[in-house]
Amino acid sequence: MAISSISNRISNFSSSVTQGISNVIPRMTVRGEKANKVISWIGEKVSSPQNRLILGVSALMSQPFIDLHNRKVDEDTRKVSAARTVAKIIAGTLTGVAIRSGCIHAIDAFTHYPREITPDMKFKKLRSLFAPSEGLVKNLTQYKKSLGTIISLVVMVFTNFLIDAPLTKYLTNKFVDRIREKEQLKDNNAAVQQSKTTNATKETKEVAHHE
Amino acid sequence: MSKASMFQNLKDLIAKHYGDNVGKMLIHTGVIGWILSAAAQVVAIVINDKIPKEQKMFLVPQEMADAAVNIVSFYLITQTFASVAGKLVKSGKWLPGAVRDFFEKSGLADKLGKKGFDVTANGNLPKDLQKKYDKFHNGIDVIATTLGSILSCNIVTPLVRNEIAADRQKRGIARMNAKNPETKPLDKPSVSSLYQKVTLKDFQALSSGSIYNNSGSLKI
Repeated sequence: MAISSISNRISNFSSSVTQGISNVIPRMTVRGEKANKVISWIGEKVSSPQNRLILGVSALMSQPFIDLHNRKVDEDTRKVSAARTVAKIIAGTLTGVAIRSGCIHAIDAFTHYPREITPDMKFKKLRSLFAPSEGLVKNLTQYKKSLGTIISLVVMVFTNFLIDAPLTKYLTNKFVDRIREKEQLKDNNAAVQQSKTTNATKETKEVAHHE
Repeated sequence: MSKASMFQNLKDLIAKHYGDNVGKMLIHTGVIGWILSAAAQVVAIVINDKIPKEQKMFLVPQEMADAAVNIVSFYLITQTFASVAGKLVKSGKWLPGAVRDFFEKSGLADKLGKKGFDVTANGNLPKDLQKKYDKFHNGIDVIATTLGSILSCNIVTPLVRNEIAADRQKRGIARMNAKNPETKPLDKPSVSSLYQKVTLKDFQALSSGSIYNNSGSLKI
């Protein structure tokens, strides 16, 4: 069977699945001015750094709990696993948002159509370095965000090793130490409580014996 | 072709594909991000001198299998969310009030939401309404993509990954037991083994045997 025929079948299948799902979803009309403004604002302003931040925050609200309720491993493993997950999310989100945002800003500075370059600008020759041919896009801002995100992915190949991995390790160790300290404290309290109970029982027995 | 024109072509290609479609860019860069992150994990194993060659032969495909689960889950779920939302807006099932009112006035209301109907191609919207519709379309696209990524990255993938990792590590422990029957922590029926669970001790024993010292996808 030719590859194009397989790809056509897959595409037809996915199209009919999409059609099937959209058939059962009810109609919706967004009438409120505010709601329409919010939707437009999201489309305009939310790009990869914001998306990464939303994913990071929602990951913090879900993934540690999934790890803590993983019944296939014991309690100790669950705790360490959740600690590592939190560390990984914090490290990944911090670097991910910062690098995406930094790259988008850098691209923004060097993506101007030649007609937009003014005499007072510095580095005039470089200002149109990343600009596409005119007329290709309706909105140059979205193009800058897309290119910035693509460049940030290349940067992150290196920062994965240089920042993410060591930061994750550092944070995991901190969190695990904190868990161990709490457990130790709990054990100590339980031991003190136990010895108190034993002493009290002994004293009661002694009193009963004397009587 | 000169380097300059190749670079220009590359920029134009990015502009054509992603210049006006944030949702599509988020999905594609998300997939590339997952691939690069998996590649980084694989490279970390390959360049780690402490891992023997035979174990690398096992760990590299294992890491690739994990990456495949992550990528497929992310792509399928997020892409489905984006496609369905895109179809709902494109066919006119989901619309801003002003655009729906225009269609009702022009007698096309009964065609809205029907298969094959395209608001932009068949609607002849006035410029200001077209702008409103484009902004609405973009917003819904980003919302759907973000919801899809939250569901896939933060719920489905961790659940599937934990399931696979626990199963794989249990098999790894069984293999270790078969190889080293005298190894203390693994050959005694521990409390955890009664419940068919894998303990932290088991993991530590395994990592001292350097089988799973890449920490796997269970994030230990």
